[in-house]
Amino acid sequence: MRISRRAVAAATVLATVLPLSACGGGSDSDSSDASGDIKGKITFQTWNLQANFKDYFNGVIKDFEKEHPGTTVKWVDRPAEGYSESLSADAAGGTLPDVVNIAPDLVAPLAKAGLALDLDKDTTAASYRKEYLDGAWKSHQIPGLEGTYGFPWYLNTGPMFYNKRLLKDAGLDPENPPKTYDELFDQGLKIAEQTGGKVATLGQVPTIEDFGRYGAELMNKEGDAFTFNDAKGVAMLARYKELFDKKALDPQVLTATPETTGTKFLTEAIAMNPGNAHDLETFKKDAPSLYKNIGITDQITSTGKVNMYVMGVMVNSKTKEKPAAVAFAHYVTDPTRQMSFAKKVAIFPSTAGSLEDPYFNKEDGTDETRVRIAAAKSLKKAVNYTPVLFSEQMKTELRNNVAKALQGKQSPQAALDQAVEACNKLLKQS
Amino acid sequence: MTSSTAPRAFPPDPAVAGPTRQGSGPGGRGPRGGSTTPTPTPTARTGETGRIRRQLPSSPWLFVAPGLLVVGTFSLYPFLTTLYHSFTSKQALRPGSYVGLANYRELLHDDMFWIALRNSTLYMVGVVPALVLLPLLLALLVERQLPGMTFFRSAFYTPVVASVVVVGLIWVWMLDDRGLINSLLETVGIGKIGFLSDQWLLLLSAMAVTVWKGLGYYMVIYLAALANVPRELHEAAAVDGAGAIRRFVTVTVPAVRTTMVLVGALSSVFAFKVFSEVYLIAGPGGGPAGEDTTLVMLIQRVGGGLTGRVGYASAISVVVFVVTVALMLLVLRFDRKEDA
Repeated sequence: MRISRRAVAAATVLATVLPLSACGGGSDSDSSDASGDIKGKITFQTWNLQANFKDYFNGVIKDFEKEHPGTTVKWVDRPAEGYSESLSADAAGGTLPDVVNIAPDLVAPLAKAGLALDLDKDTTAASYRKEYLDGAWKSHQIPGLEGTYGFPWYLNTGPMFYNKRLLKDAGLDPENPPKTYDELFDQGLKIAEQTGGKVATLGQVPTIEDFGRYGAELMNKEGDAFTFNDAKGVAMLARYKELFDKKALDPQVLTATPETTGTKFLTEAIAMNPGNAHDLETFKKDAPSLYKNIGITDQITSTGKVNMYVMGVMVNSKTKEKPAAVAFAHYVTDPTRQMSFAKKVAIFPSTAGSLEDPYFNKEDGTDETRVRIAAAKSLKKAVNYTPVLFSEQMKTELRNNVAKALQGKQSPQAALDQAVEACNKLLKQS
Repeated sequence: MTSSTAPRAFPPDPAVAGPTRQGSGPGGRGPRGGSTTPTPTPTARTGETGRIRRQLPSSPWLFVAPGLLVVGTFSLYPFLTTLYHSFTSKQALRPGSYVGLANYRELLHDDMFWIALRNSTLYMVGVVPALVLLPLLLALLVERQLPGMTFFRSAFYTPVVASVVVVGLIWVWMLDDRGLINSLLETVGIGKIGFLSDQWLLLLSAMAVTVWKGLGYYMVIYLAALANVPRELHEAAAVDGAGAIRRFVTVTVPAVRTTMVLVGALSSVFAFKVFSEVYLIAGPGGGPAGEDTTLVMLIQRVGGGLTGRVGYASAISVVVFVVTVALMLLVLRFDRKEDA
């Protein structure tokens, strides 16, 4: 058989340019009970924790295997970048690990696809509920679905770091940093004015959490439509536009990522940046001149409530070793383990009573302790402002429309209307 | 070439023509032979060719089977699946249902799709001429046998082997508001340029990275082509009084024209499918308000993650496929026309 050059060329073209891929689908959950013998081999997936906490997790796994002979836990760690993509690929390919480190907004699609175990339906899992803070347990509940789809793990809320020298140079009181958004906007404009636009106050455009902390109503009570285009939301975006126009926002703010903004704060190009207690080590090591002038204050909020990030541990509803998977998910997140993990890194336990530990209340004179105590205090009235149903695609829609408003291509009202419309469309499709 | 020309070009070889001339079966004698004298050699050949002939239809397929398996599994199957999904409402974790041309209709009204199509096309138009011409000039420079030239060849090739992520980050640092380039511009009194904040400069910066990273790769291809250009042609042109530029236009370019077409074809496909450079330079959001998003970035954004719209992303993928195939066919047609 002879094959023409054209056919060979066409085949080559096909092989060269096929850029396409495909995924599978999910199925309904299994709600059988997790009581029974705790044994078998399970896989535990974490979210970018291996680099810094290898010994801690190896110890936890070793202890669990010792307490439950016959169990083997295989630990896998995925990088932060593309975590939801890797979860999606695993879920579609039927290779989702038995126990998965997850956040509420990531658990929502998995729960809807029937891949996350409903802990409330499982007698064994539900029996652990009393060990956790009520609000933390509820954080893994999905609007429109009944049940709870993950054990609460650690909580986090970061302080706002600021550069005392830059505030002082602009004629502001470095010991009295802004606490509310309106104070932040006023001081930001002053810094820009005093420095001729050379020093920006912020390096990030507002996120959905900013709208929440400013006081905008993010979703309706039914949880089936976004509403952050209300008067508060529009007012905040209008102020951000003012900051952008007066160069109080970094000139590259529209393309910035948290990493690039962090670097700018290190180089003292911007005056304020949110972070966590762990960042202090970075400042000390990488930017000693900044460290000398570092100021620490609470998150900016106009509602009196700071934002709380919640992390959880989900059990794959399709796991073949349900008793072992539930037992391990609980083991990792139980009060003992959460407390010991909190002492290794600047996070906070979601277990009942843990925040009363002196570790979170007793001063020892160090900056780290000061940040920890302040954060633990603010956690008591913190809110998780990230709507559980707010997907990556929705974040993109919001960011793009905010950018249009800042560039003056659309009014703040029109931009937010468009963002809400796009997000609601995506919500209906999900 | 058409199949009808094949017999004329390759007339049947009597040695392998087999039974029609030599008789059938092992040791068979020709029907017109009539001789009783044993003729071992032709008989043996006939037997051998008979076996060869029986093996012919299947053996080529055995040779290509591994390749077919790989292409079928990793290219053809995903392609067909994607084509199918483009007609469904499939999401990352849900099967979805058949929706006909709804995804394609939605594309027509999706502003971001048109922005992405514009950017991918602009990228191709901006990058391809540079990648066809500049590596050729570079190859002409480094083909000379001068002391230390190996160092320059290696140096120009280094960006090719460097990770695109590393290259992208280095360029981001250089193009930053407080980076090397802006500091230099400020020093000479030009002032800062918003390479990483203006949508068009961002796209141009990403193009510069693609060109910079691709120069060495295509330079090597051109070096191979230039090595085959007869030196006598240059000498003859020089004797006729042609200068360096004239020799380049009348001797070098025609001699490497096929290579230029190849470079043009490859670089246009890669440029149209650009992802990494724009992603790294313009950020995951695709520049301010997503204005620098390219088609492949859009596919990743729309179809990625746990809530990705796989059906819609598949429709965009099919558009990318169609455009890319059209590009390749256009280049091949251009090449054939030039050959004629």
